[in-house]
Amino acid sequence: MGGFLYRWRRPIIVVLVVMVVSLSLSVTARVRGKAVALSNVLTTVVSPASSTLQYLGQKVGAGVATVGQLFSLEQQNRELKQQLLLYNSMKLELTELIQENSQLRGLLALKEDAKPWKLVAASVISRNPDSWFQTVVINRGSSSGIKPGMAVIVPQGVVGRVIATTPISATVMLILDPSSGVGAEDVRSQSAGIVMGTNPISDQLTFQLFSHHPNVLPGDAVVTSSYSEYYPAGLLIGQVTRVTRTGYGLTETATVTPSVNFNQLETVMVVLSHPSGTSIPPIYGGGAH
Amino acid sequence: MWQFRIISWLILDLLALLIQTALLPQIFPVGYVPDLILPLTVIIALYETPRRGLLAGLVGGLMQDVWAGRLWGLNAVTYALLGYAVAHLESKIVRDNVFVPGLVAGLAQLLVTPFQWVILRIFGFPFSWSSFVAPLPVWLLFSMLVTPAIGGLLRFKPRHEVENPYGRTRMTTWR
Repeated sequence: MGGFLYRWRRPIIVVLVVMVVSLSLSVTARVRGKAVALSNVLTTVVSPASSTLQYLGQKVGAGVATVGQLFSLEQQNRELKQQLLLYNSMKLELTELIQENSQLRGLLALKEDAKPWKLVAASVISRNPDSWFQTVVINRGSSSGIKPGMAVIVPQGVVGRVIATTPISATVMLILDPSSGVGAEDVRSQSAGIVMGTNPISDQLTFQLFSHHPNVLPGDAVVTSSYSEYYPAGLLIGQVTRVTRTGYGLTETATVTPSVNFNQLETVMVVLSHPSGTSIPPIYGGGAH
Repeated sequence: MWQFRIISWLILDLLALLIQTALLPQIFPVGYVPDLILPLTVIIALYETPRRGLLAGLVGGLMQDVWAGRLWGLNAVTYALLGYAVAHLESKIVRDNVFVPGLVAGLAQLLVTPFQWVILRIFGFPFSWSSFVAPLPVWLLFSMLVTPAIGGLLRFKPRHEVENPYGRTRMTTWR
């Protein structure tokens, strides 16, 4: 028996390793919360170092960028002017949308929207080391009242939701993550669906619509719906850029460009509480409900 | 010599992950942030036996998996196999300090990306191939440049040179 085991020890070890790895992969693929919790403990331990590196990186980056800008100032100026024109036209469009919306919903609803929300500001101190998963760690945790499931926003729109916390840090799953599903709706047609991350490197989102004929058009604004489990209704997610038919033409999917620039995510706000049944103030992209 | 100790690998992996999660995302856009564990595994394995190369990859990959908190085993398996393969390859090639680490790291990056794509697909993350390989040129260039740089910075040496620093001189004298 001993001789058999010794003779076949290498294949046995290989088979055992493959079994353990497969088990680990399949278990962690299903039980995500616990794996994230341990990861969060690790990131908490190193969070002072992460904060310092992030701070240094910002300072060095700012210095390098200033020198670099000297060489491309003219080009940047031209581009900025073009962008300004674009933003002005977008601002006009948004103003029109808000006005149209407010006419439909009424002034009373807008007053309700402006009720104060309880928010906590936090800085992004690190990102996920795997490029395939889109999570970030923020420097505020359960000691600041943050709990898993809370929505995270910036003035431009939805960032994601808290998935794990420690006393001094929290892990936030961005809406770009392939596992994030956000209940959403098209503001113009009121078509509902789920918005999720498309690909690890893409900053585009997929809007899977529930209805067969949803009447979604490019340019439509997409916001969180009242059916969303984690997010308050009416938070701006992004703008529809393309609509495609999938599944032998039976279902429709829209590509949404997020309103948030995830490459420049530095300070975010965690929604601790909000008056139920009301939307976020319009400055945070809300006001649709 | 410190370069052959597991505790040194752990510290280097920790530093690499800190830079990868806090510093590199400020330079590279979302999804394009390169991996520092790969160059580190390559450079460690180039001076190790296959078994210890496997261990070095396993340590780095497992740390990355725990840090990421998603699929435990994805990077551990990838880098353990990579460490083993690089250390095995090292015994069959002539090693220099710049071109070989760079080329091996580039080759490793070319193999690691499709391997991880397959594992991710098996475990429920069906990313499209075209978008998955989009950052590959950036990562390829990064690993090819950074790996020799790390080797130079850490002043890694072959084990026989460390353990018997005067071996070559004596041999020349004897001849």
